[in-house]
Amino acid sequence: MNETAAERLVLAVPSKGRLMEDTTALFAKGGLTLARTGNERGYRGEVKELPGVDVAFVSASEIADLIRKGEVHLGVTGEDLIREQIPDADNAVEFLLPLGFGHADVVIAVPDFWIDVSTMSDLEEAALLYRRMHGSRMRVATKYRTLTRMYFAGHRYGDQPRAVDAVSMYRIVESLGATEGAPAAGLAELIVDITSTGSTLRANGLRVLDDGIILRSQANLVASRRAPFGERLAALKDDILARITP
Amino acid sequence: MDHLYSAADLPTSSRWIEALGRQATIITSIFARAGFEPIAPAVIQPADLFLDLIGEDLRARTYVFTDPDGAELCLRPDLTIPATRLYLDRFGDEGKPARLSYNGVVFRYQRAGGSLARPREFRQAGIEYFAPDAPAQAEAEILALSVESIRAAGLRACTLRIGDLGIFEALLSAIDMPERWRRQLKHHFWHPPAFRRQLQKLMKPEEFGRSLAAPLLAAMEAARREAARHGDAVAALERHIEARGISVSGTRTLEEIALQLEGLSADLRSPPLDPRSALLLDAYLKLATPARGATEAIRGLLKTTGVEIDAALDCFDERLKLTAQEGVDLSDAPFSGGFGRQFEYYTGFVFEILSPIVGEAAPLAGGGRYDRLVEEISGGKSITAVGSAIHTERLLLAVRGGRP
Repeated sequence: MNETAAERLVLAVPSKGRLMEDTTALFAKGGLTLARTGNERGYRGEVKELPGVDVAFVSASEIADLIRKGEVHLGVTGEDLIREQIPDADNAVEFLLPLGFGHADVVIAVPDFWIDVSTMSDLEEAALLYRRMHGSRMRVATKYRTLTRMYFAGHRYGDQPRAVDAVSMYRIVESLGATEGAPAAGLAELIVDITSTGSTLRANGLRVLDDGIILRSQANLVASRRAPFGERLAALKDDILARITP
Repeated sequence: MDHLYSAADLPTSSRWIEALGRQATIITSIFARAGFEPIAPAVIQPADLFLDLIGEDLRARTYVFTDPDGAELCLRPDLTIPATRLYLDRFGDEGKPARLSYNGVVFRYQRAGGSLARPREFRQAGIEYFAPDAPAQAEAEILALSVESIRAAGLRACTLRIGDLGIFEALLSAIDMPERWRRQLKHHFWHPPAFRRQLQKLMKPEEFGRSLAAPLLAAMEAARREAARHGDAVAALERHIEARGISVSGTRTLEEIALQLEGLSADLRSPPLDPRSALLLDAYLKLATPARGATEAIRGLLKTTGVEIDAALDCFDERLKLTAQEGVDLSDAPFSGGFGRQFEYYTGFVFEILSPIVGEAAPLAGGGRYDRLVEEISGGKSITAVGSAIHTERLLLAVRGGRP
């Protein structure tokens, strides 16, 4: 970020879909109008009431990366995406405010007929037997590699202490879509995916483990700890924060 | 040590590279004189195999990538597995003795590009001895060659630390408990908090039931009653699952689930693990003593327990004698019951060679006995194997007193 750009506060906002609509509505409620500048389909924008702020409309999945690199000061995106893309998120990112929308739980789900498995510790036992019988590790289909690896290794998000129930006898297979179908298709034995109501999981014969909620995620307003905040930009940040009430 | 230099100071000067080259010549000639044949396994390895052997932790410290064909590959993070693959390629699993050596680059992810003691790219000089006629002699020889190489490279003072997974396995076998529990405890050896928790659990198997879901208990009971009547737990399980309207799919089979349920059910009915046995295992894992006093200390722990593992202890003492004959005095080396390096494929003697100059957290060399690796890769027979690898950059750093 060069110095002239550094004089302006850059806010990254999802460019489409429910997340964009909810973000726009929440800002509007606080008297802040998010608007695109120039071309209606353009990716640059402004906050009409705050002349010092530039808005970047980008896809929700890219916002975490921009925040990590410090290329934008503030961003609105899901905590799941932040924690997945920034393994040391607590050092790189300041979580300013949960926004009350974009709720999704990242969960570990196994086929419902695995009646011997309802906890992580059951899973590790079953995985040991699986390794002996099949000669390979159980496969977990997911697009959340980092969250899966951290949680399976015993890391817990939020205020929970580190868990003793580590699961190590598994492998990740990357799944970029329709993850819930992977077990039935024989591509993986279990999955880590997001769910809001659980109905897709149930329809696919899957069940969430008792201690299988990795993260209760929602959209957050976050600040990059790498982006340069001078006094003026910090004041702008506080101004935005003061106006938003989820 | 790490904090003294940043990644930007990593020596790439021609003088450092030349010094590494001279050091490699010294080490590889020692390996060659001892009859180890130089090999050069591929730098790019199938990620699949490493992930299956080491697990997902690998991804956090290895460069894993997908090539244009969609194959998942990795830059080798060590040379033991590639050397074992090469051995299998050449000789199959018939147990033909082979002595292989290498001096090659390996890659491990390090935050911010690494540091002098933890570069992300470094050379490993190592030896692997497959199917030796005399395993204990091979262990002594491998250790002695590693120490000799380090001394020949110019390091005056180094220390050793050792462990012996063979003693741990012997202890598990000698203590009265179901085979299933032994397998679980063996797996948890590398995860001490989980190991201790498992011990607690095994002392109160009736408590398992309380944490299990009610339908699971019902299913287990049904399966057991059915099994008693028809001898077919799988059919019973199938009926139970059908009655609940759940469909069966995927690669995990009903047989596996039935087996697991039978195991859990047997756990509930098993007499608990004798608290004295749990104490013994716990005390063994906490044991730390100079190697010369190790077997006596272990015999002290075993007194009044009725547990007998003389063969494993004699083997340990024999190894001390053999290494002394090879010119390495292990008597002052710290032995720890819980020391097993980080890989689950080790099965016996393990060691690390340390220098105070680079610190305990960054061993100059490490190795041990890994009888299960060939079997895990080939799916065939297990073959005795002993190996060791020297971290050559660290060694050079230590030789130079910590300055590049």
